[in-house]
Amino acid sequence: MSDEDIKENYKDLVRQYNILNQISKTVASTLDLNKILKIILTGVTFGDGFGFNRAFLFLIDRHQKNLIGRIAIGPASEEEAWKVWGEIQHTNYSLEEYLNSEKFLNEPSTSVLDEKIRQVIIHLDEKKVLWQCLEDGVPRNVNLINYYQDQNFNSNKNPENTFDSDLDLENGKSDVSCQPTPEKPYCYIYDKNLIEPELLEYIDYPKFCIIPLISRTIKVGILIVDNKYNKRDITDDDIKFLLMLGQFAASSIRNTIIYNDLKDSLAALEKLNMKLDYLREYNEKIIESIPVSILVIDKYFKVTLCNENCSKIMRAQKNQIIGRSIDTHSIFIDGADLVEEIKKVMDENKSEGFHKVNIKMDGRKTEEIYDVILTPFKFFKDTPEGVVLIIEDITATVKLKKELSEAKKLSELGKLSATIAHEIRNPLIAIGGYAIRLKRKYTQNQEIDPEAIDIIINEVSRLETIVNEILDYAADRKLEFTKVDLSSLMKECINLAEISAEQNDISIDFSCGCGILGDCELFVTGDYNKLKQAFLNIINNAVEASKKRSKVTVLIQTEDNYENIMIKVHNYGYLGSEEIKHNIFLPFYTTKDRGTGLGLTITKKIIEQHNGSIGVESSVENGTTFTIKLPLLKQEQN
Amino acid sequence: MKKILVVEDDRPIRNLYKDELIDEGYEVITAADGVIGYEMFKKHKPDLITIDIKMPNMNGLELLDKIRKEDKEVPIIIYSAYGEFTQNFSTWAADEYLVKSSDLTEFKNKVKELLEKREN
Repeated sequence: MSDEDIKENYKDLVRQYNILNQISKTVASTLDLNKILKIILTGVTFGDGFGFNRAFLFLIDRHQKNLIGRIAIGPASEEEAWKVWGEIQHTNYSLEEYLNSEKFLNEPSTSVLDEKIRQVIIHLDEKKVLWQCLEDGVPRNVNLINYYQDQNFNSNKNPENTFDSDLDLENGKSDVSCQPTPEKPYCYIYDKNLIEPELLEYIDYPKFCIIPLISRTIKVGILIVDNKYNKRDITDDDIKFLLMLGQFAASSIRNTIIYNDLKDSLAALEKLNMKLDYLREYNEKIIESIPVSILVIDKYFKVTLCNENCSKIMRAQKNQIIGRSIDTHSIFIDGADLVEEIKKVMDENKSEGFHKVNIKMDGRKTEEIYDVILTPFKFFKDTPEGVVLIIEDITATVKLKKELSEAKKLSELGKLSATIAHEIRNPLIAIGGYAIRLKRKYTQNQEIDPEAIDIIINEVSRLETIVNEILDYAADRKLEFTKVDLSSLMKECINLAEISAEQNDISIDFSCGCGILGDCELFVTGDYNKLKQAFLNIINNAVEASKKRSKVTVLIQTEDNYENIMIKVHNYGYLGSEEIKHNIFLPFYTTKDRGTGLGLTITKKIIEQHNGSIGVESSVENGTTFTIKLPLLKQEQN
Repeated sequence: MKKILVVEDDRPIRNLYKDELIDEGYEVITAADGVIGYEMFKKHKPDLITIDIKMPNMNGLELLDKIRKEDKEVPIIIYSAYGEFTQNFSTWAADEYLVKSSDLTEFKNKVKELLEKREN
């Protein structure tokens, strides 16, 4: 090599480094992948740069299975090529100047070549050159000139078209594997079958160079260059520099892709964050909107959630409650220590509820009335993570219910008054009617009918009875409780009832099934006179409902393991209907000609005042039985 | 002598109506409920009927309906302690509606009026 040659070589080297420098400087100024790719390919094809006629770039897909055509630079035809080169020479830009020029920055890439490459997808095949190239990282210098001449390779189909090729046939191998050297860091490919057909179809020219773009060990893509129009051969130096550019391009592309991926991920993360914020706010709004107080306590008794309603009950700011231990407050629900209740709910893994209770908070009893529910909450089966406390203020509901019940009482009173008025109207009409009649007879000196006077007297007595019974029923006279011997009281009642029973030849049987208690000493706590009134009512009813010469049975026995006394009064008459049975204890309900309809109502009231109950069963076959149940006074209490 | 049927469950009132109507010169038949009232209507063919509304077994409105199905002409006075029964259209089938009172003057006037009206 002559001095001139060395000098020339050196100048070339400097020039090429300069180009690399200019490309890298421009690339560094942007993070836009499309722009970076355009800069690299422009650098490769620019006359002042490497000066290749055409450059193509394919990027590998995410799954490393395909190469996707991304950008191509170069004229689509020979005519266009000359035109473009003429223009560029005319402007006299350096590469760096051109890359920063308006023309480069704003020119849309509308070339046919570029449009076509975006439709190219090359499937990577282990047996083919692109795959191998990406595996070993060695450039391939492709020369298919033989095919071109022999097999009409080129679509131009021009046999005259010849190439000044330096076909290195002795080095040529029809194998994709390759051992590069520092002097010649690439391999030749002469076998068309080794090249992916999609690529051949697109390039449509037999001589080109494939540069793998690999950043460290990561495959990025493929750069392909050729000199389709000026037909200059690709030299060893060309390939050495392309290799350097390739390494730079690969890392720039990869960094940009990573950067963009990161940017996308960040944006997605940001979006996710916003969604999370929204969800958190949404949940918070729900918890704040529901008209109950919510407190969540974890298994270490620390408060993890407290809504505004709850903080109002606790008379503290939310931030003074959340994060702190619940035992910094002394909270008693209906007298029960909340901390103990939480422990219990956690231990037993079971909800607990308190109805209509007061809450004592730090020594101060609330005026409101609450329903409180403690529920264990779990992430996993059977291991409570804490307790959710729900407190509902039911003061208004309780007040409303009370008002409602008072209104109901008033309405019942109204109905009762109407019934009373109606009940006393008939006797009044009869009394008034006969009084008028008697006065008329008297003034006309006519004979006075003594029966009319009897009716007046009887009706007045009827009115008196009604009024007395109403007063008796309505009077809230305090009962005088004493120890009452039930069997002797019952005997007294039967003796009284027998007076009217004997008139109709009705017998009254009395038996006392005392069981182990022996000689019938059954005691209750009660008002002697009231109980007498109640029993007499029932027995008299039974006598009145009985036919002549029939029998009334009275039975006293203990029940429910000596807890209660059962009194049964039976007669053979049938009440008449289910409706009568249903209404029999209602005030003024009567089936008797001369009854006030208050007797059984009063009886029921008396029995209930003694914590007892009364019921009736009636059928045509078995007759009617009234059953009274009263709590038995225990022997130790005697 | 005109025959009047009094259907009323309360005995003293029934007697009062009977006594007063006899004094007015009518023949009076009485019944203590709607069922007996209907039997008496069939048996005696009265010239006028007075019916109480609230009665056991068959109430006054049922009896009124039953009689009107067979006899559209016989004058019927329906009376009750309940003023609001006038609102019940079932009572419209009666010729007169009266609220019970100890003063029977209006009642006796209506009886006379209705019998005379029928006479003409």
